[in-house]
Amino acid sequence: MSNLNSLLEGFASALTLSNLGFGLLGTFLGTLVGVLPGIGPALAIALLLPITYTVSPASALIMFAAIYYGAMYGGSTTSILLNTPGESGSVMTALEGNKMARKGRAGAALATAAIGSFIAGTIATAILAFTAPSIADLAIKVGAADYVALMLLAFTTVSSLLGSSQIRGFIALSVGLVLGLVGADLQSGLARLTFGNMSAIEGIETVPVIVAIFALGEALYIASRYKKVGWNILPMKGKALMTRDDLKRSWKPWLRGTAIGFPLGVIPAGGSEVPTFLSYAAEKKLSKHKEEFGHGAIEGVAGPEAANNANAAGALVPLLALGLPTSATAAVILVAFQTYQIQPGPTLFLTDGALVWTLIASLFIGNTLLLILNLPLVRLWVQLLKVPRPYLFAGIVTFALLGSYALNTSTFDVQVAIAIGIVGFLFRRYGMPITPLILGLILGPNLELQFRRALQISAGDYGTLVASPLSKVIYLVIFIVIIGPLVWNLKKKLAIKK
Amino acid sequence: MKLPQGAKSELTFVGSLFALGLLVFWDTARSEPPAFNLTVSPKVFPYAIALFLMGLCAVLFIRILRGDVAAPEGLNPGDPIEKSDYKTFSIVLASLFAYLLLIERAGFIIAAFVTFFGITVAFDNKRPSRALIFGSIFILLIYISFTKFLNVALPAGILEGIL
Repeated sequence: MSNLNSLLEGFASALTLSNLGFGLLGTFLGTLVGVLPGIGPALAIALLLPITYTVSPASALIMFAAIYYGAMYGGSTTSILLNTPGESGSVMTALEGNKMARKGRAGAALATAAIGSFIAGTIATAILAFTAPSIADLAIKVGAADYVALMLLAFTTVSSLLGSSQIRGFIALSVGLVLGLVGADLQSGLARLTFGNMSAIEGIETVPVIVAIFALGEALYIASRYKKVGWNILPMKGKALMTRDDLKRSWKPWLRGTAIGFPLGVIPAGGSEVPTFLSYAAEKKLSKHKEEFGHGAIEGVAGPEAANNANAAGALVPLLALGLPTSATAAVILVAFQTYQIQPGPTLFLTDGALVWTLIASLFIGNTLLLILNLPLVRLWVQLLKVPRPYLFAGIVTFALLGSYALNTSTFDVQVAIAIGIVGFLFRRYGMPITPLILGLILGPNLELQFRRALQISAGDYGTLVASPLSKVIYLVIFIVIIGPLVWNLKKKLAIKK
Repeated sequence: MKLPQGAKSELTFVGSLFALGLLVFWDTARSEPPAFNLTVSPKVFPYAIALFLMGLCAVLFIRILRGDVAAPEGLNPGDPIEKSDYKTFSIVLASLFAYLLLIERAGFIIAAFVTFFGITVAFDNKRPSRALIFGSIFILLIYISFTKFLNVALPAGILEGIL
């Protein structure tokens, strides 16, 4: 009951004029970055991190959460109308959604995506509101050694499940960990990897790295393979409406998508790729219209879109309750919390309860705003794609460089940004996923801290790391996640040989 | 042995990541740990990360030699990899460096404008005058909104006093 009261109080503070304004701005910006290929929610939030210096924590976090949700909506629009998914969670939507658009059913596809996202987002946020506090209660008992295990789990899943190659994921993670090492060690003061550079003593700031790896890396990558081709936007006839039959075929996939997406967001399963894929596979298997799959089956849009949004809400559970981000966007939101000196984790609901409830309430509000705004405004969003790409990239890069410099008004951060931009380019060129690097940079120092804490408590006995039942289970899961793909690949190879 | 397309440059890339691991290892080995006793020395993590990175790079190196070449982002494995457009790439990269060189010497407006203009022209060199006009308006708007409304300090540089 107290949760409900806190949530109502959250609504009260989220519904102030200025917070509502930031929420509205966030939904707008979120949809915008979702629509525009090449910029995702992680980059959008990272670019806006400088505003945390002047805006109140509640307002900024409301805006960031709205961007997070909004990008999911925007991503579905480009998947359906352009066949270019704006972010990884929309790849599955493009499969059937674009086929539907080609058949002149763009309106129905957009509607099932938007309504499905709304329903999934609302249900998932409700579950978040009522489970996160109890998870946080449990998490207070989680010790330093368990944290070490949890972080290793997040590293393993994100590195293994993202992208096409497990080993490349782990290399990306290690590069992030190396970046996290730079600077004076917190416990001993030992300068690591600074090479005499005074600016490096304080470590590498996360903001320039995130901004650069997305914005500068993408700009350089696009430049390296630039061809002057426009976008082939499919025309949208009629309104974004569904027929009774569409609705009948959509509601079950929406609910199933939610059921798949949310739990996979809570456990670190490496972002929205896996749940959307699973939802698509499930719908294909369960559909009465199997023959339509691959030619524009509405279930194939409804399910993954719902899974995508439920997944986004699910990812907020470990972020708020444990301080563990499981996606690039969640990692950036964690940085936003930290710039306000707020540490998400088990005690967050006690220390900053009002703020968290405002955030959760604003997720409900943002979700509703998105549904109201987006269906009628779909055409407007599509118009945005007519902004010439050179200006788009130039604008993004300018913002990224501005953000890196303004952080500490230091050119060292700009140097870091450019260097990381080149790394981002190379990672894209050689098929290495970006998210593990970000997670390594942000969580690496934290992992070392908890590791040391655990060993200090046990007076140097390494057995403490696997002492608790929780950590034993986690290490078993890590083992399966690492071995699983290897076995799978071996089986595939053997099958090919036969 | 004939290497698949793109393997050579990827080997160089993975090789340089291996070198990064070596660098971390070397830097850790030569550093002087503090005299007081810590349960976990500040050298443990760097050593572990360096070894992990080098080990992975070595494995990937062998796998590339055996044909596991990465697919660039946006391509499927096995798609032909086109030759990179070095000209556009270099102009964009040079525009980034221009910002670094100019930001404190000439101020934000000039630095950002050079970068903006460089990138637009790199991607589309047909209409430089349009980029000139849109660029200056855009940069001025950003400068004013950040310094006046968001209180973010940006160096005025040589335009100090004019704005």
